[in-house]
Amino acid sequence: MPEQYLARNSRTAWRVYDGEAVILRAEDSTLNTLNPVGTLIWEGADGQTPMSALVGRICAEFDVEPVQAERDVRAFVDKLCQRGLLSVTASPHEVP
Amino acid sequence: MGELSLAIAGLRATIVTRHRDMLDVLHDRYKGFLSPGPADWRIEAEVRRAVGHRADDDVLVSRDGAAGRFVVTRADFAGTVALPVRRASVTFADANEYSIDSFLRILYSLALVEARGLIVHAASLIRSGRAHLFSGPSGSGKTTLARLSTDVTLLSDELSIVRISEGQAHCYGTPFWGELARAGDDSSARLGGVYFLRHGSRHAVNAITPRQALERLLPNVLFFARDPELTAQVLEIAADLIDAVRAFDLGFRPDPGFWEVIDRA
Repeated sequence: MPEQYLARNSRTAWRVYDGEAVILRAEDSTLNTLNPVGTLIWEGADGQTPMSALVGRICAEFDVEPVQAERDVRAFVDKLCQRGLLSVTASPHEVP
Repeated sequence: MGELSLAIAGLRATIVTRHRDMLDVLHDRYKGFLSPGPADWRIEAEVRRAVGHRADDDVLVSRDGAAGRFVVTRADFAGTVALPVRRASVTFADANEYSIDSFLRILYSLALVEARGLIVHAASLIRSGRAHLFSGPSGSGKTTLARLSTDVTLLSDELSIVRISEGQAHCYGTPFWGELARAGDDSSARLGGVYFLRHGSRHAVNAITPRQALERLLPNVLFFARDPELTAQVLEIAADLIDAVRAFDLGFRPDPGFWEVIDRA
Protein backbone atom coordinates (compact mmCIF):
# COMPACT_ATOMS: atom_id res chain seq x y z
CA MET A 1 0.00 0.00 0.00
CA PRO A 2 1.36 3.46 -0.83
CA GLU A 3 2.07 5.67 2.15
CA GLN A 4 -0.49 8.26 3.21
CA TYR A 5 -0.33 11.37 5.36
CA LEU A 6 -3.03 12.88 7.55
CA ALA A 7 -3.60 16.57 8.16
CA ARG A 8 -5.94 18.23 10.61
CA ASN A 9 -8.39 20.79 9.25
CA SER A 10 -6.84 24.14 10.20
CA ARG A 11 -10.32 25.55 10.81
CA THR A 12 -10.61 23.60 14.03
CA ALA A 13 -9.70 24.34 17.62
CA TRP A 14 -8.93 21.53 20.00
CA ARG A 15 -7.71 20.64 23.44
CA VAL A 16 -6.75 17.32 25.07
CA TYR A 17 -8.01 16.34 28.53
CA ASP A 18 -6.73 13.14 30.12
CA GLY A 19 -5.75 11.76 26.73
CA GLU A 20 -9.06 12.60 25.07
CA ALA A 21 -9.35 15.38 22.49
CA VAL A 22 -12.25 17.82 22.34
CA ILE A 23 -12.43 19.35 18.85
CA LEU A 24 -14.49 22.35 17.80
CA ARG A 25 -15.03 23.00 14.10
CA ALA A 26 -15.14 26.68 13.13
CA GLU A 27 -17.54 26.29 10.19
CA ASP A 28 -20.48 25.10 12.23
CA SER A 29 -19.26 24.91 15.86
CA THR A 30 -19.80 21.14 15.85
CA LEU A 31 -18.11 19.35 18.68
CA ASN A 32 -16.26 16.05 18.44
CA THR A 33 -14.70 14.10 21.27
CA LEU A 34 -12.12 11.40 20.60
CA ASN A 35 -11.07 8.42 22.70
CA PRO A 36 -7.36 7.87 23.49
CA VAL A 37 -6.69 5.95 20.25
CA GLY A 38 -8.46 8.58 18.18
CA THR A 39 -6.59 11.31 20.03
CA LEU A 40 -3.26 9.64 19.23
CA ILE A 41 -4.18 9.71 15.54
CA TRP A 42 -5.46 13.29 15.75
CA GLU A 43 -2.31 14.55 17.45
CA GLY A 44 -0.19 12.73 14.88
CA ALA A 45 -2.14 14.17 11.95
CA ASP A 46 0.47 16.87 11.33
CA GLY A 47 0.75 16.36 7.59
CA GLN A 48 4.27 15.00 8.04
CA THR A 49 3.85 11.71 9.90
CA PRO A 50 3.02 8.73 7.67
CA MET A 51 -0.12 6.80 8.57
CA SER A 52 1.98 3.65 8.99
CA ALA A 53 3.90 5.35 11.80
CA LEU A 54 0.63 6.14 13.56
CA VAL A 55 -0.43 2.49 13.21
CA GLY A 56 2.92 1.52 14.73
CA ARG A 57 2.38 3.87 17.69
CA ILE A 58 -1.06 2.42 18.32
CA CYS A 59 0.32 -1.13 18.31
CA ALA A 60 3.06 -0.05 20.74
CA GLU A 61 0.74 1.76 23.14
CA PHE A 62 -2.37 -0.38 22.92
CA ASP A 63 -2.77 -4.16 22.86
CA VAL A 64 -3.72 -4.58 19.20
CA GLU A 65 -2.34 -6.46 16.18
CA PRO A 66 -0.98 -4.41 13.23
CA VAL A 67 -3.58 -5.68 10.74
CA GLN A 68 -6.44 -4.87 13.08
CA ALA A 69 -4.87 -1.50 13.99
CA GLU A 70 -4.50 -0.49 10.34
CA ARG A 71 -8.09 -1.46 9.60
CA ASP A 72 -9.33 0.55 12.59
CA VAL A 73 -7.21 3.58 11.70
CA ARG A 74 -8.51 3.63 8.12
CA ALA A 75 -12.13 3.40 9.28
CA PHE A 76 -11.54 6.17 11.81
CA VAL A 77 -9.78 8.39 9.29
CA ASP A 78 -12.63 7.90 6.79
CA LYS A 79 -15.10 8.99 9.43
CA LEU A 80 -13.13 12.12 10.35
CA CYS A 81 -12.65 12.98 6.67
CA GLN A 82 -16.42 12.77 6.16
CA ARG A 83 -16.85 15.17 9.09
CA GLY A 84 -14.39 17.58 7.51
CA LEU A 85 -11.86 17.25 10.30
CA LEU A 86 -9.04 15.44 8.49
CA SER A 87 -7.62 15.27 5.00
CA VAL A 88 -5.46 12.52 3.50
CA THR A 89 -2.65 13.09 0.99
CA ALA A 90 -0.18 10.86 -0.80
CA SER A 91 2.81 13.04 0.10
CA PRO A 92 3.79 15.05 3.18
CA HIS A 93 2.53 18.61 3.47
CA GLU A 94 5.17 21.23 2.81
CA VAL A 95 6.41 22.87 5.96
CA PRO A 96 5.76 26.63 5.66
CA MET B 1 -27.93 62.85 16.68
CA GLY B 2 -28.30 61.46 20.17
CA GLU B 3 -26.38 58.86 22.09
CA LEU B 4 -26.64 56.59 25.05
CA SER B 5 -24.03 54.44 26.79
CA LEU B 6 -24.49 51.14 28.53
CA ALA B 7 -21.98 48.82 30.17
CA ILE B 8 -22.35 45.07 30.34
CA ALA B 9 -19.69 42.95 32.04
CA GLY B 10 -17.39 45.94 32.16
CA LEU B 11 -17.57 46.66 28.42
CA ARG B 12 -19.11 50.05 27.73
CA ALA B 13 -20.81 50.65 24.40
CA THR B 14 -22.06 54.01 23.18
CA ILE B 15 -24.95 53.82 20.74
CA VAL B 16 -25.29 56.77 18.41
CA THR B 17 -28.49 57.31 16.48
CA ARG B 18 -30.66 60.06 15.03
CA HIS B 19 -33.81 58.17 16.00
CA ARG B 20 -35.31 59.51 19.20
CA ASP B 21 -37.62 56.48 19.52
CA MET B 22 -34.63 54.15 19.51
CA LEU B 23 -32.98 56.10 22.32
CA ASP B 24 -36.24 55.83 24.28
CA VAL B 25 -36.34 52.07 23.72
CA LEU B 26 -32.70 51.73 24.76
CA HIS B 27 -33.25 53.86 27.86
CA ASP B 28 -36.20 51.77 29.02
CA ARG B 29 -34.81 48.37 28.08
CA TYR B 30 -31.33 48.81 29.60
CA LYS B 31 -32.04 51.21 32.44
CA GLY B 32 -30.16 49.04 34.95
CA PHE B 33 -27.06 49.08 32.76
CA LEU B 34 -26.84 52.69 31.64
CA SER B 35 -23.32 53.92 32.21
CA PRO B 36 -22.05 57.25 30.91
CA GLY B 37 -18.31 57.51 30.38
CA PRO B 38 -15.59 56.72 27.86
CA ALA B 39 -16.80 53.98 25.54
CA ASP B 40 -14.96 50.78 24.64
CA TRP B 41 -17.31 50.37 21.68
CA ARG B 42 -19.13 52.79 19.39
CA ILE B 43 -22.27 51.58 17.62
CA GLU B 44 -23.96 53.64 14.93
CA ALA B 45 -27.59 52.63 14.61
CA GLU B 46 -30.05 53.43 11.86
CA VAL B 47 -33.63 52.45 11.04
CA ARG B 48 -34.77 51.69 7.52
CA ARG B 49 -37.92 49.72 6.82
CA ALA B 50 -36.48 47.95 3.77
CA VAL B 51 -33.72 46.20 5.66
CA GLY B 52 -35.74 43.07 6.41
CA HIS B 53 -35.17 41.20 3.18
CA ARG B 54 -34.50 37.69 4.48
CA ALA B 55 -37.34 35.26 5.07
CA ASP B 56 -35.66 33.14 7.73
CA ASP B 57 -34.93 34.12 11.30
CA ASP B 58 -31.37 32.77 11.44
CA VAL B 59 -28.41 34.91 12.41
CA LEU B 60 -25.55 34.98 9.93
CA VAL B 61 -22.16 36.23 11.07
CA SER B 62 -19.58 36.03 8.33
CA ARG B 63 -16.12 37.44 7.90
CA ASP B 64 -15.98 40.51 5.72
CA GLY B 65 -12.55 40.36 4.13
CA ALA B 66 -10.27 41.99 6.66
CA ALA B 67 -9.35 40.20 9.87
CA GLY B 68 -11.73 40.87 12.73
CA ARG B 69 -14.38 42.44 10.54
CA PHE B 70 -17.76 40.71 10.35
CA VAL B 71 -21.07 41.18 8.61
CA VAL B 72 -24.04 40.39 10.85
CA THR B 73 -27.46 39.83 9.34
CA ARG B 74 -30.84 38.64 10.43
CA ALA B 75 -34.28 39.17 8.93
CA ASP B 76 -34.77 42.34 10.98
CA PHE B 77 -31.29 43.90 10.92
CA ALA B 78 -28.02 44.10 9.03
CA GLY B 79 -24.75 45.44 10.30
CA THR B 80 -20.99 45.26 10.50
CA VAL B 81 -18.73 44.68 13.46
CA ALA B 82 -15.07 45.69 13.33
CA LEU B 83 -13.24 44.15 16.27
CA PRO B 84 -9.83 45.84 15.77
CA VAL B 85 -11.31 49.34 16.01
CA ARG B 86 -14.24 48.38 18.26
CA ARG B 87 -16.86 49.95 16.05
CA ALA B 88 -20.15 48.63 14.74
CA SER B 89 -22.89 49.92 12.53
CA VAL B 90 -26.34 48.45 12.22
CA THR B 91 -29.58 49.16 10.40
CA PHE B 92 -32.77 47.87 11.96
CA ALA B 93 -36.05 47.37 10.13
CA ASP B 94 -37.75 48.70 13.23
CA ALA B 95 -36.55 50.26 16.48
CA ASN B 96 -38.03 47.54 18.66
CA GLU B 97 -36.33 46.12 21.75
CA TYR B 98 -36.22 42.54 20.43
CA SER B 99 -34.18 43.45 17.37
CA ILE B 100 -31.89 45.75 19.33
CA ASP B 101 -31.42 43.14 22.05
CA SER B 102 -30.56 40.43 19.51
CA PHE B 103 -27.95 42.61 17.84
CA LEU B 104 -26.39 43.55 21.18
CA ARG B 105 -26.17 39.87 22.17
CA ILE B 106 -24.28 39.12 18.97
CA LEU B 107 -22.05 42.17 19.32
CA TYR B 108 -21.15 41.31 22.90
CA SER B 109 -20.53 37.65 21.99
CA LEU B 110 -17.84 38.93 19.60
CA ALA B 111 -16.51 41.82 21.69
CA LEU B 112 -16.11 39.73 24.83
CA VAL B 113 -13.65 37.33 23.21
CA GLU B 114 -10.96 40.01 23.30
CA ALA B 115 -11.83 40.61 26.96
CA ARG B 116 -11.53 36.85 27.58
CA GLY B 117 -15.24 36.49 28.15
CA LEU B 118 -18.12 34.36 26.94
CA ILE B 119 -21.89 34.60 26.87
CA VAL B 120 -23.32 31.32 28.10
CA HIS B 121 -26.87 29.98 27.96
CA ALA B 122 -27.10 29.86 31.72
CA ALA B 123 -28.86 31.29 34.71
CA SER B 124 -26.50 32.83 37.22
CA LEU B 125 -27.02 33.89 40.79
CA ILE B 126 -24.85 35.33 43.54
CA ARG B 127 -25.30 33.57 46.87
CA SER B 128 -23.15 34.19 49.93
CA GLY B 129 -20.71 36.24 47.86
CA ARG B 130 -20.07 33.62 45.18
CA ALA B 131 -21.63 33.30 41.74
CA HIS B 132 -23.17 30.01 40.61
CA LEU B 133 -23.70 29.31 36.93
CA PHE B 134 -26.52 26.95 35.90
CA SER B 135 -26.18 26.03 32.26
CA GLY B 136 -28.48 24.20 29.91
CA PRO B 137 -30.55 24.56 26.76
CA SER B 138 -34.09 25.90 26.62
CA GLY B 139 -36.40 23.90 28.85
CA SER B 140 -33.64 22.67 31.16
CA GLY B 141 -34.94 24.72 34.08
CA LYS B 142 -32.84 27.90 34.15
CA THR B 143 -35.76 30.24 34.79
CA THR B 144 -37.42 27.79 37.19
CA LEU B 145 -34.24 27.61 39.21
CA ALA B 146 -33.93 31.40 39.29
CA ARG B 147 -37.55 31.74 40.42
CA LEU B 148 -37.06 29.21 43.22
CA SER B 149 -33.99 30.92 44.65
CA THR B 150 -34.34 33.34 47.52
CA ASP B 151 -31.64 35.40 49.25
CA VAL B 152 -29.73 35.59 45.98
CA THR B 153 -28.75 38.29 43.52
CA LEU B 154 -30.03 37.50 40.05
CA LEU B 155 -27.39 37.97 37.35
CA SER B 156 -29.51 36.42 34.58
CA ASP B 157 -32.10 33.70 34.08
CA GLU B 158 -31.02 33.08 30.46
CA LEU B 159 -27.70 34.50 29.23
CA SER B 160 -24.82 34.94 31.62
CA ILE B 161 -21.39 36.39 31.05
CA VAL B 162 -18.20 34.89 32.43
CA ARG B 163 -14.81 36.52 32.12
CA ILE B 164 -11.42 35.02 32.90
CA SER B 165 -8.71 37.07 34.54
CA GLU B 166 -5.51 35.82 36.16
CA GLY B 167 -6.80 32.27 36.36
CA GLN B 168 -10.05 33.28 38.03
CA ALA B 169 -13.54 33.26 36.57
CA HIS B 170 -16.00 36.04 37.37
CA CYS B 171 -19.67 36.04 36.47
CA TYR B 172 -21.47 39.26 35.51
CA GLY B 173 -25.07 40.36 35.46
CA THR B 174 -26.68 40.93 32.07
CA PRO B 175 -29.83 42.61 30.79
CA PHE B 176 -30.46 39.56 28.59
CA TRP B 177 -33.42 37.78 30.08
CA GLY B 178 -35.43 34.62 29.46
CA GLU B 179 -38.92 33.70 30.59
CA LEU B 180 -38.45 35.69 33.78
CA ALA B 181 -38.56 38.88 31.67
CA ARG B 182 -36.44 40.63 34.27
CA ALA B 183 -32.94 42.00 33.82
CA GLY B 184 -30.16 40.77 36.01
CA ASP B 185 -28.44 42.96 38.54
CA ASP B 186 -25.51 44.98 37.23
CA SER B 187 -23.04 43.30 39.56
CA SER B 188 -20.46 40.53 39.51
CA ALA B 189 -18.84 37.93 41.73
CA ARG B 190 -16.16 35.31 41.54
CA LEU B 191 -17.59 32.13 40.07
CA GLY B 192 -17.90 29.32 42.60
CA GLY B 193 -19.20 26.51 40.41
CA VAL B 194 -20.73 25.52 37.10
CA TYR B 195 -23.77 23.25 37.16
CA PHE B 196 -25.19 21.54 34.09
CA LEU B 197 -28.93 21.20 34.53
CA ARG B 198 -31.21 18.27 33.99
CA HIS B 199 -34.64 17.56 35.40
CA GLY B 200 -34.70 14.76 37.95
CA SER B 201 -36.99 13.14 40.48
CA ARG B 202 -34.66 14.20 43.29
CA HIS B 203 -31.89 16.70 43.85
CA ALA B 204 -28.47 15.26 43.04
CA VAL B 205 -25.16 16.97 42.36
CA ASN B 206 -22.25 15.00 40.94
CA ALA B 207 -18.80 16.28 40.04
CA ILE B 208 -17.83 15.80 36.39
CA THR B 209 -14.41 15.77 34.75
CA PRO B 210 -13.02 18.85 32.97
CA ARG B 211 -13.44 17.12 29.60
CA GLN B 212 -17.08 16.32 30.35
CA ALA B 213 -17.59 19.88 31.53
CA LEU B 214 -16.08 21.36 28.39
CA GLU B 215 -18.23 19.06 26.23
CA ARG B 216 -21.33 20.25 28.04
CA LEU B 217 -20.33 23.90 28.18
CA LEU B 218 -19.41 24.49 24.53
CA PRO B 219 -22.86 23.80 23.04
CA ASN B 220 -24.23 26.38 25.45
CA VAL B 221 -21.81 29.15 24.50
CA LEU B 222 -23.52 31.86 22.47
CA PHE B 223 -21.26 32.31 19.48
CA PHE B 224 -22.08 32.76 15.82
CA ALA B 225 -18.90 33.66 13.93
CA ARG B 226 -17.50 30.94 11.69
CA ASP B 227 -13.96 32.10 12.12
CA PRO B 228 -11.06 29.79 13.02
CA GLU B 229 -9.12 32.33 15.09
CA LEU B 230 -12.12 33.40 17.15
CA THR B 231 -13.28 29.80 17.50
CA ALA B 232 -9.87 28.85 18.88
CA GLN B 233 -10.07 31.73 21.35
CA VAL B 234 -13.57 30.71 22.42
CA LEU B 235 -12.32 27.18 23.07
CA GLU B 236 -9.38 28.52 25.10
CA ILE B 237 -11.62 30.76 27.22
CA ALA B 238 -14.12 27.93 27.79
CA ALA B 239 -11.30 25.59 28.79
CA ASP B 240 -9.82 28.21 31.13
CA LEU B 241 -13.25 28.66 32.69
CA ILE B 242 -13.49 24.92 33.32
CA ASP B 243 -9.95 24.88 34.71
CA ALA B 244 -10.84 27.71 37.11
CA VAL B 245 -13.92 26.22 38.77
CA ARG B 246 -15.45 22.88 39.69
CA ALA B 247 -18.19 21.58 37.42
CA PHE B 248 -21.15 19.42 38.30
CA ASP B 249 -24.12 17.62 36.84
CA LEU B 250 -27.18 18.90 38.72
CA GLY B 251 -30.37 16.90 38.69
CA PHE B 252 -33.17 18.84 40.30
CA ARG B 253 -36.90 18.95 40.76
CA PRO B 254 -38.77 22.23 41.04
CA ASP B 255 -38.31 23.08 44.69
CA PRO B 256 -35.61 25.13 46.44
CA GLY B 257 -34.00 22.09 48.10
CA PHE B 258 -31.37 21.94 45.37
CA TRP B 259 -29.36 24.58 47.25
CA GLU B 260 -28.84 22.11 50.10
CA VAL B 261 -27.16 19.57 47.82
CA ILE B 262 -25.10 22.33 46.23
CA ASP B 263 -23.94 23.51 49.65
CA ARG B 264 -22.88 19.96 50.52
CA ALA B 265 -21.03 19.35 47.23
